[in-house]
Amino acid sequence: MTTAALPQVPGTRDPRVSRTSRVTRFAGSPVLRLVVKRLLMAIPIMLGVTVLTFWVLSLIPGNAAQQLLGPEATPEQVAQLEEQLGLNRPGYVRYGEWLRGAVTGDLGRSIVSNQPVSDLLGERLPVTGELVLLAFVVSLVLAVPVALLAAHRPGGVWDRISMVVSTAGLSVANYVLALILVLVFAVQLGVLPAIGFTPLSEGLWPNVRSLILPSAAIGLPLFCFYARFLRGDLVDQMQQEEYVTTARAKGVGSWQVLIRHAFRNSSFGLITVVGLNLGALIGGTVIIEQIFALPGIGQMLLQAINTRDFIMVQAVVVVFALVAVVANLVVDLLYAVLDPRIRYGSR
Amino acid sequence: MAVAETPISVTDHPGVEHEHEEAPARRGRWRRSLGVAVPGGMVALIVAACFLGPVLFDLPSPVGGNILESYLPAFSPGHLLGTDPNGNDILSRLLYGGRASLFIALAVNVLGLVVGGTLGALSGYLGGVVDTVIMRVLDVLIAFPSLVLTLAVAQALGPSMRNTIFALAFFSIPAFARVARSAVLRLREMPFMAAAQLCGTPAWRVLFKHLAPNTAPQLITFGMLGMGIVIIIEGALSFLGLGIPDPAPSWGNMVATGQLSLSATPMLVVWPSLALLVTVLSFNLLGENLRARWSGR
Amino acid sequence: MSGKQRTATYPVGDSYVSEGVIAAASSGPAAPGPAGEPGEPLLVVEDLRVQFTRGGRRINAVNGLSYELLPGSMMAIIGESGSGKSVSSRALMGLLPPTATITGSVSFAGRELIGMPEREMRELRGGDIAMVFQDPARSLNPTMKIGAQVTEAIRLHSDSDRKGAHARAIELLRMVRLPAPERRFHEYPHQLSGGMRQRVMIAIALAGEPRLLIADEATTALDVTTQAQIMELLVELQQRLGMAVVMISHDLGLAASYAQDVVVMYAGRAVEHAPTATLFGNVRMPYTRALLGAIPALEREPHSLFEVTPGQPPDLSALPKGCPFRPRCPNALDRCVEMPPFREHEPEHWWACWNPVGDETGNGEQE
Repeated sequence: MTTAALPQVPGTRDPRVSRTSRVTRFAGSPVLRLVVKRLLMAIPIMLGVTVLTFWVLSLIPGNAAQQLLGPEATPEQVAQLEEQLGLNRPGYVRYGEWLRGAVTGDLGRSIVSNQPVSDLLGERLPVTGELVLLAFVVSLVLAVPVALLAAHRPGGVWDRISMVVSTAGLSVANYVLALILVLVFAVQLGVLPAIGFTPLSEGLWPNVRSLILPSAAIGLPLFCFYARFLRGDLVDQMQQEEYVTTARAKGVGSWQVLIRHAFRNSSFGLITVVGLNLGALIGGTVIIEQIFALPGIGQMLLQAINTRDFIMVQAVVVVFALVAVVANLVVDLLYAVLDPRIRYGSR
Repeated sequence: MAVAETPISVTDHPGVEHEHEEAPARRGRWRRSLGVAVPGGMVALIVAACFLGPVLFDLPSPVGGNILESYLPAFSPGHLLGTDPNGNDILSRLLYGGRASLFIALAVNVLGLVVGGTLGALSGYLGGVVDTVIMRVLDVLIAFPSLVLTLAVAQALGPSMRNTIFALAFFSIPAFARVARSAVLRLREMPFMAAAQLCGTPAWRVLFKHLAPNTAPQLITFGMLGMGIVIIIEGALSFLGLGIPDPAPSWGNMVATGQLSLSATPMLVVWPSLALLVTVLSFNLLGENLRARWSGR
Repeated sequence: MSGKQRTATYPVGDSYVSEGVIAAASSGPAAPGPAGEPGEPLLVVEDLRVQFTRGGRRINAVNGLSYELLPGSMMAIIGESGSGKSVSSRALMGLLPPTATITGSVSFAGRELIGMPEREMRELRGGDIAMVFQDPARSLNPTMKIGAQVTEAIRLHSDSDRKGAHARAIELLRMVRLPAPERRFHEYPHQLSGGMRQRVMIAIALAGEPRLLIADEATTALDVTTQAQIMELLVELQQRLGMAVVMISHDLGLAASYAQDVVVMYAGRAVEHAPTATLFGNVRMPYTRALLGAIPALEREPHSLFEVTPGQPPDLSALPKGCPFRPRCPNALDRCVEMPPFREHEPEHWWACWNPVGDETGNGEQE
């Protein structure tokens, strides 16, 4: 039981441990069985998340009817609107109804605007998606070379500098970083817009330009985290793994050992961390979208919470949770595709 | 087959050289102690400043300032760091805001550590069905976007310190549980555990006498890193107006207030940001260095 | 050199290998390796010292090791774990972490290796000097195909193109008798057994046509049958390619079966060095005798107890004054607080002891 349960717990898994344990269990056609198993495990998690949301939201006093009518409304008026919106029925009935729709892809209609939720999500998701993607790309593109440079000589000048920078970077709250970036690049230098979003339809550059500061605010702490993690894993590989000694004994140069040998093996750990991070990352977009007035789902969430539009809140929670679950699944699949020991169902 | 003669005599290790050898050893130990002592001292200083500062020194009230004294620059008479748009003393607000941040962070981490640590330890120690059930429930909590729920709860129950604490503690539980569980799983394999069980030690005694002391260092280290995280999240909630309710100071809502006049008076953002940065950095460094020390590196 | 006795029967080992060793000996100095004058040593280690600084402590892993190795010969370095046998061989290849301080001299074919610039060292590594490690499960890169790992070594030390390297890799894999080399070329290490992995490691080591092969406990992680197969392969390759082999082991029996010379190490020093037959026929160092006493043998009286060396291997960060074996030594004298020199007391037989086995002079506390 002990190690067998580990791989299913995101975060605690040591890639090496989980790889072997998974390997022993999926001796047949490993990749396919892995996918099926992970998909089956995602179902109870998604159910749990949605039930939890419904339950928490139902505990909250006040509902959309009250919010829509304002504080002057009489209790009769509120009751009437509640009945109209179906808010007076017990929670489990509403949840059942919602679930029936959700599994067929119908997430319902916004209580406040009566627009289909999926339409609203369709408007908002691309903005958040682009923001997250940009932040990811920036952080990874920076983190890999920095980590390689630092790990090439542990304790050397570059290692120390990158350690100091990344420790400081990890201690900066993203909203503080966002304001500093605005202060420097928008207020002082005036080279980038402080707020607002330019859609892609108005050109690629104006679109990317409007996302540079927000994605930097999300991406920089992320970069620090990845760089630190990768550096640590690379140093472990270089110091503890015998295949590194073999490579050096062959006469492979130190950079080549690092890139061709150690990085190849460290990349598995990095993939895990990146995948696990995605859930937290998308939650962090809420505040950044608020600061930069970006019309993403984070902003939509805050509005929905303010107006008690619980159908919308539910939809956003589902999206966030789905991203986390899917990211986990993708990590496992990438493992399976990249790591020969799983691909061939080893041993 | 001539091998060079290597007469090694006692004179090969004279006393002088010995002293020379010991120097880097002492330096290494020093550096490691410093790694804990410096951030530890910073944390102590920050705590002392926030909780004792306002008592020891005659600071203006953090709220109810004179609107005529708003936007005073730093080093104004009576207001070392100046005043904010409402004429409140910034230094005073920083220290009182720090109290709130530190108190919330401590409360959240203690709650998370006790509840999460117990759940994780039970899960790891008992294994089987208990483990599966606990871990599946925690999986749900992990997949759940915690900020969303925290926002919803804060919005619904009205922003207050108590609600913030409960909402944040709820979501720190899985992290602590995972740390405790993996620590217990490792300990379970150790011979002394088998010895304790062979002696017929009851389960609760094993948990409290053997497992708790051995997992505590890891949990406390994790808690140090958790302090930083909670301070940042609490700041985010206050920044969004969902944490510490308004006239009361908090670093997060100070940043939010300052944001409104960012180009004119950037220092209003800089002071609380610096306070956040230094505090979180101190906790992070303390946590990292404690971990390095306990893991024996 | 000429007076070296190699035809003696060894107390341990099987006949096939003994013959092999004898065959090697007859062709050894007469037909030297690719380079090196006859009789001139390929490798001269002189007063090699390695110190580690770990967690603020100084660990003296190697404390003045000296030996010579002739081209095309096979030597065994024997010692307990922590005796410095492995560290010393990694030191001469420049494979130790930067926390290690290396002093002394290692000359390989006339070139000084200690302090050699990394660029030159890299040429030698895997070229003239190659190494095979203990654990074949860990010493191959798990994420690279066998073929890629062999061709990498080939291409580093020759100008061959992809095709040429591929052909050479298959040839090498065939030479180490890896079954179905064309298929194994495209497989990953985890798909191979331990013995096969070690064959791959040997193929990688041979890629640069080395003059010196260091086998660092190369058979320790393998089961006994595989162990014998790999050792026989090494002996065969040594003879065929005329390379010198240093085999590092804690197994005296294995050394006796395959090596021509044996160096026994204790606490980072050589304590006894002799041709195999001389060493086993006429043990002088009490430590070596203690090691021999711990080997089970058929000649032993039934139900007789093994001689167990009392005490622990020394703490390398706090070595005792004088002979490091003194606290455990049955022959210890008052004089042993002074370090005994490592000298050629008898022709070709070196040891470091004030009171060697066979001519004990006691100071009252003798057996």
